[in-house]
Amino acid sequence: MPFSRRTFLELIGGGLAYAFNFSCSGDGANGELTSFSIEELESGIDLRHQGYTEWLVLGRDGSVTAHTGRTELGQGLKTVLSDIISQALEVPPERLNLVMGDTSNCPDDGPTTGSAATRNVGWGYWIACSRIREDLIRRAAFVLRRPAKKLIYEAGEIVDSNDASRRIAIGDLADGTVRVATIDPNGRHRPNRLYVDKGSLAANAEAIVTGTLTYAGDLFPGDSQYGAFLCPPYFYQLTKIESVDLDAARQIHGVHLAEKASRNAWAIADDFPTAHRALDAMNATWHVPDRPRTVDVEQEIRAGAALVKTMEDHGDPSAALASSPLVLAETYVTQYASQVPIETETAVARFENDKVTVWASTQSPFKSRASVATRLKISEGQVRIIGMPVGGGFGVKDNPQAAADAAVMAKKSDGTVKCVFSRERQFAGRGRFKEAVVIDISSGLGPDRKIAARTIDIYQDEGFGTTDTYEVPNVLTRLYDTKMPVRHGVMRGTSFVQSGFAMESHTDMLAEVAGLDPVEFRRRNVATPAFIPLLDACAEMIDYEPARSQQNRGTGFAICMHGGRQLGAAAVEVSVNTATGEIHIERLCGAYDIGTVININTLTANTKGAMMWGLGYALFEEVRADGHRAFTRSLEDYRIPRFSDLPPLEIVFLNNAVKGQSPRGCGELPVVPTVSAICNAIYRAIGVRFYTLPLTPERVLAALAANR
Amino acid sequence: MKKEINLNVNGTVSRVTADPEQSLLWVLRDVLKLTGTKFGCGEGACGACSVLIDGEVYRSCTVASSDVAGGEKIVTIEGLGSPGNLSKLQAAFMEHTAFGCGYCTPGMIVTATALLGANPSPSTEEIVSAMNDNLCRCASYPNIIEAIKDVAASPEKPGS
Repeated sequence: MPFSRRTFLELIGGGLAYAFNFSCSGDGANGELTSFSIEELESGIDLRHQGYTEWLVLGRDGSVTAHTGRTELGQGLKTVLSDIISQALEVPPERLNLVMGDTSNCPDDGPTTGSAATRNVGWGYWIACSRIREDLIRRAAFVLRRPAKKLIYEAGEIVDSNDASRRIAIGDLADGTVRVATIDPNGRHRPNRLYVDKGSLAANAEAIVTGTLTYAGDLFPGDSQYGAFLCPPYFYQLTKIESVDLDAARQIHGVHLAEKASRNAWAIADDFPTAHRALDAMNATWHVPDRPRTVDVEQEIRAGAALVKTMEDHGDPSAALASSPLVLAETYVTQYASQVPIETETAVARFENDKVTVWASTQSPFKSRASVATRLKISEGQVRIIGMPVGGGFGVKDNPQAAADAAVMAKKSDGTVKCVFSRERQFAGRGRFKEAVVIDISSGLGPDRKIAARTIDIYQDEGFGTTDTYEVPNVLTRLYDTKMPVRHGVMRGTSFVQSGFAMESHTDMLAEVAGLDPVEFRRRNVATPAFIPLLDACAEMIDYEPARSQQNRGTGFAICMHGGRQLGAAAVEVSVNTATGEIHIERLCGAYDIGTVININTLTANTKGAMMWGLGYALFEEVRADGHRAFTRSLEDYRIPRFSDLPPLEIVFLNNAVKGQSPRGCGELPVVPTVSAICNAIYRAIGVRFYTLPLTPERVLAALAANR
Repeated sequence: MKKEINLNVNGTVSRVTADPEQSLLWVLRDVLKLTGTKFGCGEGACGACSVLIDGEVYRSCTVASSDVAGGEKIVTIEGLGSPGNLSKLQAAFMEHTAFGCGYCTPGMIVTATALLGANPSPSTEEIVSAMNDNLCRCASYPNIIEAIKDVAASPEKPGS
């Protein structure tokens, strides 16, 4: 079951294999191919250990099979890879197979996170396939005895440009060898051909609309047992079970097993409801956490904070701030938030001959493999993870606990065990929330009303979003870790979202201090002129007139940079009901510079969704917790955006289809500027600046009252 | 205790052995193996488990199977169309990429089917109001609305 050289040779199956190392180091590697014979591979060369973790096999029948350890989360990776490879090799989609997320026949090419799959794996394949075409032409030249420069690659065949009767299908060039190359998807090297988005439909579309796409929970219907662990009342890291009545659980009809583990207890039953009835019957009591409850998140974060790293330090910010005529010092604090995929964590496990197979809803099959092995104290070689289509991950399924839970229970049982997290366990069982963050920021303006100096102290564990989007000559940016008791989780947008909220709210306040229109102030100060067309596009979409003012109605802007190369801007128009505190988003516009668009259908759906994520985070998403437990334990306690929250949305993508522009990904970027553009629009509408989120009606009313 | 009950699902009456108190959702998924109806919350709050019962939308996670064992016509996503034989709404959802991960999509299509059954040409406001209790974390809401409008606008074929 563990992946071996033998497996790889079986995968080649007499075809022609290409293995690539998509090195994203920026070294500009451009993919000279090196050949290995089967004999050399059999003698012990392990391509994976040399970083060749993207595999594409050309079959003798002309089919193309690509293997990636990443998974389809709904972000459209399967669509993107299918579009890119079928266009690059001119192979119809039905002859292209994508093998995804299976640790026994896919390489470990990294987790499916951070909007990285399109720009790294997808574009890596676009470049790699141009190398493959050249390689196939060279091989055909040898077979056809024609000079390579007379041959052209055309619809899966190599054809003599002078004599169309001389041709060979690419499958006929397969000879059982392996060619490897290192390619930098983000390097300067560009293939000559321009990618053209054909607007194909999402890869799983028909299965999705008919309910026939098989998610992990849909496997083996009627032929599996359901296993579940208790959801502790406290964060699981801070507690363990003290007493439990296993006999009461075992007496329930349909319960197969009820057991206590070291910190928790679990039950296996015929079906999901019975397994959960068994847990209820256990009447478990739990150790009360030893630490004090959190009274004030900001205070607690500051109390435990320790400097991790100075992220940026140039010029002399203290002197420049001291001499600045206009200094603005602010503190922003954010809330805990939860990913809330509609499919809760789900996995199915089966033990056979000391080996376990886990079909899992996971963003990272290889991380899941390591977790299952650790939890069961077995070797990774005894674990096979088969990544299933993910019913929403958004970070919480980066390393889902359900995979190891299912495996633990399957080991004690003699059948297949399905573990579907209850909604309560999903919310409160792990505490892997988007972290609460504190940001202190002081900026000083120069006489030219440009930002002359600033210091930024960011208290957060994740460490993203510390790069300034403005050109500031004197800067000190420091990152502190928070030592909060509950480990944070990954959530779409990561800490770019919290930083973006603080930085761009602050920018608007600086514009006011400077006496400049917020769009104009940004134009003068941005770190790269690439932001200016984005701001202009947003201003145009929202019909911006700087001087226009209407009671309780306002327009706000924000910009952001994500992952270094994705740039975005947002413009929002809001109205505020000052009697009820309700905020109504009238319009929401976004402009994004993300390079070449691979598939406009999945991109647009994703982008609009991400904008709605920004709206939800700004207006209502919040997990309430006290340092012992989360009080948010059901969908009734946590509001996510719904149909009635949808404002008119308008989006534009700049620099699409400009030659040489690689795709840069857009899964998270639009979340970020949406949050602060909403806050800035509210400031324009009612003159109240919010330093904490979310902007619930209660908070808005309180702020209005305090402002009076 | 389990007992035998009759369920009329997608035009076929099946005699199934199930706990009558158990929710229809799990009977559909594990006994009848109709896994298009999804578990999302178990508390009727997300709509992923939506099914039609005599033409009206219900959350199958909150309906006891014994309550619909009297000949009520239950329709799941599988009863609306299948690959190669899509309903108009299914085709429109496909065409408009009205989904991200697709997990909530069966519930969305079932709910939209009931809406158009009751109101063949709803306004945007009526669509929002009818669909508002179905949650999509990928927030494919704008595309879902467009897909529904597309079908609403197209003239009905006689008898369809």
